[in-house]
Amino acid sequence: MSEQLKEILSRVVRETLEQLAFMFSLPEDERGCMIPDSAVAATISFSGSFSGRLVMTVSNQLLPELAANMLGVDEEETALNQQHDALKETINIICGNLLPAIAGNEVVFNIDAPVIITEIEAIKDVIKDNDNKLTSMVKLNIEESECDLFLFVEGEFTISS
Amino acid sequence: MAINILIVDDSAVMRAMILKTMRMTNLPLGEIYQAANGQEGLDSLNQHWIDLVIVDINMPVMNGEEMIDRMQENPNTKEIPIIVVSTEGSRTRIERLQHKGARFIHKPFSPEIICDTIKDITGVEGNDE
Repeated sequence: MSEQLKEILSRVVRETLEQLAFMFSLPEDERGCMIPDSAVAATISFSGSFSGRLVMTVSNQLLPELAANMLGVDEEETALNQQHDALKETINIICGNLLPAIAGNEVVFNIDAPVIITEIEAIKDVIKDNDNKLTSMVKLNIEESECDLFLFVEGEFTISS
Repeated sequence: MAINILIVDDSAVMRAMILKTMRMTNLPLGEIYQAANGQEGLDSLNQHWIDLVIVDINMPVMNGEEMIDRMQENPNTKEIPIIVVSTEGSRTRIERLQHKGARFIHKPFSPEIICDTIKDITGVEGNDE
C-alpha cells in the first residue's frame, strides 16, 4: 500500500473533520480494525479515471457527537436520521476532496449517493467482499472514539503530483 | 434590505449547516426556504420571492446543474444569483457552472466564504451591530 496515498487519505479526512465538525483526529496505526459490533458504516462508490469505493466506519459513541458538532446542537438533540445524514455528508465531502487530491482536478469523477450500513454482518461483508481491492486504510482516534476508512480501488492508477 | 434565500441540498444536515453559518454572520436574512432536490427548488421558486439560491450539485430527482439550466430558461428566475456549494473537484465541471453565472464554494466551507460570497453576489451589506 502506498504511503503517499495513505498520507493523502489521512490529510483529507483530518481537514474535512476539522472544518466540517470541529473534530480533531489522531492516527492509531498500532490498533486493529474497529470491531464492527460497535460501529456504523457509510459507503460511497465512485467512477471516473479509476473506480472504487470508500468505506468509513465510526463507533456508535462518535456518531451523535459528529452530528451535534455539525448542527451546533447538543448530542441529545440529534435524531438517528440526522446522525446518519451527518455521516453520509461527511463521507461525501471526504470522497469529493480525496479523488482530486489523488488524480488532480482535471479528471472528472461521478460520485454515487452515500449509503449507511448498520447491520454488523453487512459491514463485514462490504469489507470482506472488496478485500482484494483494498488500496489504502487509515485508523483514527477522534475524541477518544474510533474511526476507520478503507479505500478500495479497481485496477491501476497513478497519483497526480 | 433583507434577502430571501432558497437552500437546495439533499442533506438536511447540510442545509441546517448552511443556515447556521449564515446566521453566524451579520447578513440581513429574510425568509429562508429549503428544498431537497432541484425539482423541489424550482417548485419553491414558483411559490416564493427568492433573492438568492444556494444549491448543491449531486442530488436525486433533479441535480443542481439541471435546476440552474431550468432557472436560466425561465425569464422570472434567470436573473436570480446562484451560489453552488458542492464537493465537486473537477475544474471542467466547476468552470462550466461558472460560465452559467454561478459562484462556486467548495465543501467544507468557512463562514467567511459564505458571508463574503453572498455579499459579493447580491450586493447586500451586513447589518451593523
